[in-house]
Amino acid sequence: MRAALFVLMLSACATAATPAVPLVDLGDVPLDPGPAVTSRLSRTQYAASVEALFGAGITLSVALEPDTRVDGLAALGAGISATSPSGVEEYEVASYEVATQALSPDRREAWMPCVPAATMDEGCAKLALASLARRAWRRPVTDGEVDALVAVTTGAMSTLDDFWDGLEYGIAAILQSPFFLYRPEIGEADPNGGRRRTAFELATRLSFLLTDGPPDAALLDAAEAGELDTTEGLEVQARRLIASPEARRGMRAWLTDVLKLDALDHLDKDPELFPNISATLGASAREETLRLGEYIAFDKDTDLRTLLTTRTAFVDRELAAVYRVQAPSLDAFAQVELPAKGERRGLLGQVAFLANHSHSTATSATLRGQAIRESLLCSPLPPPPAGVNTSIPATDAERPTLRDRVTAHLADPSCASCHTRMDLIGLPLENFDAIGRWRDDEAGYPIDASGTLDGVDFRGLSEMADLLAADPMLTDCLVLQVVRRALGRAPGDGEDEMVDALRARFETQDARLQPLWLDLVRSPMFRRVESP
Amino acid sequence: MKPMSRRQVLRGMLGGALITVPLPFLPSLGRRGQARAAEGVFPTRFGNFNWGNGMVPEHWTPATTGAGWAPSRLLAPLARHTDVLSVVSGYEVKVPNISPHTSGKFGFLTGIDPNRGSGDGTYALGPTFDQIIAAAIGGTTPFRSIECGVTSEQVISWNGPNAGNPTQADPAALFRRLFGDSFRPPGSDAPPDPKLALRQSVLDVVTGHLGTLKGRLGRDDATRLEQHLDGIREIERRIAQLQLPTPALDACVPPTVEPSNPAAFKERHAVMTDLMVTALACDQTRVFTYVFSEHNNNWVYDALKDGHHRMTHDELGDQPGVQECVLQIMEQLALFLDALRAVPEGDGTLLDHCALLCSSDVSLGRLHALDEFPTMIAGGANGALRAGIHVRSEVGASAAAIPLTLMRAVGVRAASFGEDDCTETESIGELEA
Repeated sequence: MRAALFVLMLSACATAATPAVPLVDLGDVPLDPGPAVTSRLSRTQYAASVEALFGAGITLSVALEPDTRVDGLAALGAGISATSPSGVEEYEVASYEVATQALSPDRREAWMPCVPAATMDEGCAKLALASLARRAWRRPVTDGEVDALVAVTTGAMSTLDDFWDGLEYGIAAILQSPFFLYRPEIGEADPNGGRRRTAFELATRLSFLLTDGPPDAALLDAAEAGELDTTEGLEVQARRLIASPEARRGMRAWLTDVLKLDALDHLDKDPELFPNISATLGASAREETLRLGEYIAFDKDTDLRTLLTTRTAFVDRELAAVYRVQAPSLDAFAQVELPAKGERRGLLGQVAFLANHSHSTATSATLRGQAIRESLLCSPLPPPPAGVNTSIPATDAERPTLRDRVTAHLADPSCASCHTRMDLIGLPLENFDAIGRWRDDEAGYPIDASGTLDGVDFRGLSEMADLLAADPMLTDCLVLQVVRRALGRAPGDGEDEMVDALRARFETQDARLQPLWLDLVRSPMFRRVESP
Repeated sequence: MKPMSRRQVLRGMLGGALITVPLPFLPSLGRRGQARAAEGVFPTRFGNFNWGNGMVPEHWTPATTGAGWAPSRLLAPLARHTDVLSVVSGYEVKVPNISPHTSGKFGFLTGIDPNRGSGDGTYALGPTFDQIIAAAIGGTTPFRSIECGVTSEQVISWNGPNAGNPTQADPAALFRRLFGDSFRPPGSDAPPDPKLALRQSVLDVVTGHLGTLKGRLGRDDATRLEQHLDGIREIERRIAQLQLPTPALDACVPPTVEPSNPAAFKERHAVMTDLMVTALACDQTRVFTYVFSEHNNNWVYDALKDGHHRMTHDELGDQPGVQECVLQIMEQLALFLDALRAVPEGDGTLLDHCALLCSSDVSLGRLHALDEFPTMIAGGANGALRAGIHVRSEVGASAAAIPLTLMRAVGVRAASFGEDDCTETESIGELEA
């Protein structure tokens, strides 16, 4: 088994070191494009959009409607979910809260293009609203659209007898508009046949993919100047954004979505069993995972699969206590190396994985295995058929450990068909308890950390990390998860060959995120959409 | 202001029921709740009190039927409410039981199998019937419906596929929404705030944008924008109402201090119960969904060592731990009913004017079973329902009869409820007064 593992790793390394296969030209790959998608802004995208307009530090008293996951991803839910009446109400409240803060004397100077000369300075209001609307709606605005905003604003100015109080209503209209809250994709005829996203739709899609925020002024200008009409022009902008600090935000949003890190906000652990757990452990754990993502995708610009195998970790004092490593001297995150021969390494050894996929009182081999299948291998398992007895035996002298109890349950063939695929990659993590602390035994009984991943036997987290990193399913899944986020939907049948080509290029380019992003943006799949 | 088309509110919302909805015409309603003020009649309210992970049927069903039912072991905490609480037992949700928990929950509340066609069981394929009721009777209060509770990770109330009404579980946020700046206390005839008209002018612009965009997008996206437009119309309706005098309501004692958000679920339930009941007493809404707990929740109840959902699957035998969870949930339901009964309305109480459905997503959690589906109805719906009886189907009749009965009881003229094998045209006569 050891030897087999070694060979697997060696071959993965060999691929990574030298591009043996020439890169496929994405322009040559057959493509039958899929539909355009009108996505809603996520909560973080709303915040980033407001910040882009009015600067950092604007706060809301109201929580916007939660993002909806579809097939495991909020990026997919954003493309099909509707806004509820209470969600619309929250958007209204938020629009006024944002406008009030944006218009405060200490903030407005930074973004106002003019100084009002009078209470009813219509010209200045028009200038401000036209400029804001273009950026907020991520496209040129028509005279009629601006006039309607100005009419609302001057009406309010005259009622309230104040320029700024009146402008609040114009800004609120911009922020409540579906042109702001959604990213509509209508498309246009492609001179080369078929249909394509417009330059502004491309700019928007590009920016939200790479930065989880709206297009900046340079990108909108490039769209307006027709620079995005060529693949080369689009690539220039993509490279610029990837090199900007905001690209880290894009990566963070992707990783948060794929790994369900938002669930760490309400990490629910039994206080009697875990008396030392604090209310901030979940937030610390999420930040650790995101810092590791930044380190691998940006600081090192290296193989995404090392997310699983690295021994580099980013810990604050709370996480250091869980991992039993040297605590940072400051009240902040510090980079540490986990013990070279220890079991704990990579994503699977993080609190963000181990605690997020456990019960409040105990570990769950099934939940952990299911999370690996769904998030990392893109092969979620169906829920158990209803009407079957899902009990596993109680803890007793005969079956003191979770493994004993699960094994008894796996003897039932109707359960085993799915559960072996989850439980046998969850049980090897049993040395880590429900909040991710190391344990040698379970209630005094030694833990057997053996497992099986698709026919290959192994033992413990560390060996599984190597196996997963070398598993082509992981590589394929990483690409698919990026494509899903980029398109706001799952790729269609007519796009499969393009996704395969992206996978081949990803593999050849050391499985790094930045080249994958660039390839994806340059691929005709990013530009072309289905004809209605 | 542009006249609203009330019919449009219902567009795309009627998948689950063949109904005729008596649409309220607001602009013609000179004074909110006029009928009641004139006649001393209290409005009928509908609520759905939902908890997760079911019960244990063997210890649930009362031994006798009809009035004066004796509480079973699991219903013992509700003993003080047997006079106003009807148990409806033995009914079955007739959908293919494919998705654990959601086949039952969505199947029951919509009458549609959530795995039908393109459905994957993760969302409802039609409106849950609280929204059908809200469209019929929710149009004269500031909020057509309120969805709140103790936890907010799952969506219980739906307008249709991928159109959920998220649960508000933050008491402070619910307080601000119901009783914040825009709350107009009963008995107020203060002149309208000029800012309301300005807000309306903003909504006019937004409505124009939604219309323009709708025409350019495909059918599914147009439906989403139409749902957004429903939300805009709801705000418009509220703005119109805020400019009208409000009738006095003796029972309305609005809270003045923003509540805290207790971490412990029973304490949060107490705070949310207060808010929800006050919202009803102050006639802020007449339709609500109250989510006490969700399926898959692993709350650790007092004196237990393990999470609720996990125990439903792992605990052997008679599941004494699961039973203990159910008992504690029923205690919390009893407290909710106490609060509704503590509000005097005329000669009776607020609960007398409610039809409060109390239900879950499965019966026996271990099997995700859909027979013996747990349902109770509290309150008499203003005399439309017989309260305090035990009605039992010995033949596993379709549970779709329960929503149909409730819809009719609160004034929805529904010919049927549910689709396919869930289609039901007969309400439960024994429950009807």
